[in-house]
Amino acid sequence: MPYKTILFFLLIALKVSAQQKQFSVDDNGKFIYYEVVEKAAGKDSLMLRAKAFVESYNKTLKRQNSTDSSITAKGVMVIDKTILVASHPTGEVSFTLNCEARDKKYRFWLTDFEYIPYGRDRYSNYVPTTKIATPLEKTPGKLSAGEWKDIVEAAYSKTVNFAERLKKALSSYQTEKRQIKGETISTKKW
Amino acid sequence: MKKFLTAIFSIASTTCALAQETPSSPLEFSGSVDTYYKYDFAKRSNIPTSFVSDHNSVSLGMIDLALKKKTGKASFVGEISFGPRGQTQSIPDAAANGSSFHIQNLYINYDFTDNFSMTAGYMGTFIGYEVISPVGNFNYSTSYLFTNGPFQNAGIKATYKFSDKVSLMAGLFNDWNLYSATRGVSSIGGQLMVSPVEGWTAYLNVLSGADPYGYGTIEDLTTSYQISKAFKLGLNAANYDMADDAGGYAGVALYPQVAVADAVTIGLRGEYFKYKDVGAVKGTSYTGVTLTANIKSGGLTFIPEVRLDHNGDKPFVNKTGGVAPNAGQFSLAAVYAF
Repeated sequence: MPYKTILFFLLIALKVSAQQKQFSVDDNGKFIYYEVVEKAAGKDSLMLRAKAFVESYNKTLKRQNSTDSSITAKGVMVIDKTILVASHPTGEVSFTLNCEARDKKYRFWLTDFEYIPYGRDRYSNYVPTTKIATPLEKTPGKLSAGEWKDIVEAAYSKTVNFAERLKKALSSYQTEKRQIKGETISTKKW
Repeated sequence: MKKFLTAIFSIASTTCALAQETPSSPLEFSGSVDTYYKYDFAKRSNIPTSFVSDHNSVSLGMIDLALKKKTGKASFVGEISFGPRGQTQSIPDAAANGSSFHIQNLYINYDFTDNFSMTAGYMGTFIGYEVISPVGNFNYSTSYLFTNGPFQNAGIKATYKFSDKVSLMAGLFNDWNLYSATRGVSSIGGQLMVSPVEGWTAYLNVLSGADPYGYGTIEDLTTSYQISKAFKLGLNAANYDMADDAGGYAGVALYPQVAVADAVTIGLRGEYFKYKDVGAVKGTSYTGVTLTANIKSGGLTFIPEVRLDHNGDKPFVNKTGGVAPNAGQFSLAAVYAF
């Protein structure tokens, strides 16, 4: 009997854990990923790092505008379908990144998630099938509900990874690191 | 000579350095499987376009398997198919008595820059709207333009992208639909892609040289415009002239498609196609109307289709086996893409 109780609570915990792995919704009913990070660097350093981070993604993240305390960028992440060790892209999700810095803290959020499906062209390359994107919040019909759920989950997973990379970039001075990496070391003198 | 070699070495070193900055992609694996049932109103195979040939039979299309990998700036695609659509009914394999397989794509690509790339190998043709793979078509049956045009081209081509709205391709090719040339690298081809507004893409294509019938030049316009979320319009127009007035064809096909529900799209193909006169022999002409629905659920697409063709020269047959100006068929196809 105790085993059944433990199993029951374990399943509940797993279900709650699974439910948490999805986007929150903002005031306008749109999906949002939002985080506030405390105990960070000074405002100017944070903004320099945020701008360097955006520029490091020169093909998939484009800066829209920036001030001395905020930056906005438009990005794209590709959603893949994996079969054993191989995979192929199934579509792309575009998003807007907003990042605002104050002294010793910053916040960022990703929103405006929109999906464009990919199809295989005559050369067996996966390319967008349309230019008209579908908001990720839309309620799909019964026939495509399962596929849409997978897309939303994959987009959330990619967003979490993106957020982790952003936080890592803002926690260390990347430019300084790059300079150290490129330094020439001579063994001729001690 | 030394300066030339030094220059080549420098370019190669730069390219290598740039390539190291570009990460490799995972191995891509994809493909499709398709099967169909067709009922011809004349109770026998009647309409002379490619595929969907069997009457009153649950028949096979093909299994198609594709691999792609990109490392740095270099990538390859290998795609192979088995089954009637990919074997006996595809041109290169028909020549081998249909007992083998059919390579759909087998090529290597190198991106010299973000805007300039070169590709060599055997590729799906750049001519026309429809393709061999059922995954790439909306209608399950195929048009006269597709049936009479090239399916694939082996060759080498260079593509330059001026912007996202304009690109130009030029290449040298073998004769159509052959893994190896029978008359040398004998064709020259080009493609201008323009995208005047968001959602509208047009390809202007030319291919001139050896083909299965002799020598000739084909000019082709293939375009599609996603006018709204629910409505898409496609168009294919082509003109083919054989050398020495030995014939050819001309035709136009229109492809309006309307999404009536989240997973359901209905589309029409209206086609006019004419073989050219050869000397005193008048060319015959076809009109065809095909009504198709695509019902999607995940990787599966269910395709019910009704097709009616007309030709005043009565090339079709009726139920009793007599000649007829009209032909019709109904088909149900299931295509699964993974």
